Amino acid sequence: MRPIRVLIAMLGLDQHEVGGLAVARLLRDAGMEVVYAGRFNLPAGIVKVSLEESVDVIGLSCHSWEYLYYVDELLQLLHEQGLDTPVVVGGSVVTPADARNLLDRGVGAAFGPTAVPAEIIAKMIQLAGGRT
Amino acid sequence: MAERRTQSGIPVQAVYAPSDLDGFDYTRQLNDPGSFPFTRGTRAQTAARTGWIQRELSGEGSPTRSNEQLKYLLAKGQTGLDVIGDTPTMGCLDPDHPFAVHAVGTQGVSICCLDDYRELYRDLPLDRITLSHSLPAAFALAGLYCVARERGFPPAAVRGSVIQAPYYCEDCSYAVHMPFQLRVRMAADTIAFASTEMPKFHAFLEDTYFISESGLDSVEEMALGFIEIRGLVRELLRRRLPIDRFAPRIAILLNCRMDFFEEVAKIRATRRLFAHMMRDEFGAQDPRSWAVNIAAHTSGLSLTAQQPVNNVVRGAIQALALACAGVQAIEVSTFDEAFRTPSPEAHLVGLRTQQVIELESNASQVADPLGGSYYVEALTDDLERRIWDMVQAIEAKGDAAQLSDSGWFRGVFQAAMERHARAIADGAALKVGLNVHQVPDAEDVLLREVAERKIEPSRERIDWVKGYRLHRDTAALRASLEGLDGCARDRDANLLPGIIAATLAGATMGEMAGVLRRAYGHPGDPFGVASDAI
Repeated sequence: MRPIRVLIAMLGLDQHEVGGLAVARLLRDAGMEVVYAGRFNLPAGIVKVSLEESVDVIGLSCHSWEYLYYVDELLQLLHEQGLDTPVVVGGSVVTPADARNLLDRGVGAAFGPTAVPAEIIAKMIQLAGGRT
Repeated sequence: MAERRTQSGIPVQAVYAPSDLDGFDYTRQLNDPGSFPFTRGTRAQTAARTGWIQRELSGEGSPTRSNEQLKYLLAKGQTGLDVIGDTPTMGCLDPDHPFAVHAVGTQGVSICCLDDYRELYRDLPLDRITLSHSLPAAFALAGLYCVARERGFPPAAVRGSVIQAPYYCEDCSYAVHMPFQLRVRMAADTIAFASTEMPKFHAFLEDTYFISESGLDSVEEMALGFIEIRGLVRELLRRRLPIDRFAPRIAILLNCRMDFFEEVAKIRATRRLFAHMMRDEFGAQDPRSWAVNIAAHTSGLSLTAQQPVNNVVRGAIQALALACAGVQAIEVSTFDEAFRTPSPEAHLVGLRTQQVIELESNASQVADPLGGSYYVEALTDDLERRIWDMVQAIEAKGDAAQLSDSGWFRGVFQAAMERHARAIADGAALKVGLNVHQVPDAEDVLLREVAERKIEPSRERIDWVKGYRLHRDTAALRASLEGLDGCARDRDANLLPGIIAATLAGATMGEMAGVLRRAYGHPGDPFGVASDAI
């Protein structure tokens, strides 16, 4: 069985990578493959890379509020492409209210700064395994 | 018990004694404050009582809104200003750039043209307060210079600073999407220009704060800082600028983490290293060239999103360390920094923290109060040695341009980020509330409500700048941008007069940055989505 592939990306002009790199390392240590798209991504580019790399989960690392506006566009583009790749949002700026809101909008999981590693790994496995 | 180490991993003993300072020589290693090698401070003791410049990093939304924020902080007793740009501004992109749409004004001020600088500084007494800038240096200096002249303040009397980070900005959150040679040239041109036109202004503010927020330790932070200072000094000397013309206005903006004594020792070691380097290696003769001014931010990375009230305590400990180390300016990272751009409430707590330390603790009424401590002196010596060894090791690897282009510097930052994350994950670094002494989310409510308040993007700025573009004298604008292009292609010219002329003709920072990138063979728009100005 091939390992779970996760895309890790930052959105827009959010240049903070501490969280994204930490999660990338965490997932690699848990045996997953990480496609690290790094900084400066718009939703269309993320969809393109996720197709090319056939990732199982799209992970967005956020240290700015740009995700609040880009997430809907990303979900819409995925839908238009007929893709069911789950989107996970994580980062310091994600509050409990934001997390509930994101789940309502169709995000697979949302992690704030208090998320523990085991929780993130378990959720990734669950989301990747639940795909058809 | 586990081995005792500082936050940077330096082994320490359970106790220090006179035997740890064998051969200690007061005059050679310390000397009095204000005397070479300035370990104990750059100013003589009588001057030390004047305190430090107290300021909070600010800027949000439009320049008009940021101006109100600055006035609010001045009214609360702030003694200097410290402005940071939003993420488009820090990347030399205008607010109407397609990538900027959701980021305008949310993490700093959106500022891109002369009208913006007029608004930012409106009514501010440019001759009486210091203006510190975390903005793209050449453009910010040009904006300040133009506004000061317009308002009748001689630029030569304006005090303040602007950060320089040409070696590392692409790799650490402030990417300007420019090649190494251009970044270094812009820094050197800005410093050279200010050395004659704005001689009281610190246009050479080496910023080791932001690079170390990736998780660098104190030794790495200062070693990389010295690498950049030395590189820029050599570049300025290559241009035949006399060392004593610009060295008195070199300052360092550094980071203060939680290891109280290590941070104090780092600052003392830095002053000593700088003094020796300037006098003995670069041949500076003016004592002001030997004594480096130090400003500091308390560490944002040390703060936690869990139990944010604990961050108030962290800020107080860090600011106290800085007061004891004797720095020229302090900014306390706000308690809500872990999850948002500072709220007004958090700004005020940061400022009050400084005021309490200065006015109530008496910690700063005696210069270098920790001087002579067996531990602090041993640690200062140790840090000095380690920082210098790392500087030598990096310089032995080769030329900085090559280290930057090959990704070697980026590797250092990336390794630090991963090391930091691992240390938190495996408990090697303890953070109260994060990996020890946690509380359930339901109990973690104090000061939590400020996290839910967000700053909306200032999208009105997008239409505003589009309108601004339409109301310029296009012939004059075009001529000024062509002038800047010609200036950029002449590798021996100074870019500042060209940038000032274009700024006065109404050019935006994005347009000017595009001209400069193209003159160096790069796309004008780093993301390939915006059109060129000329």
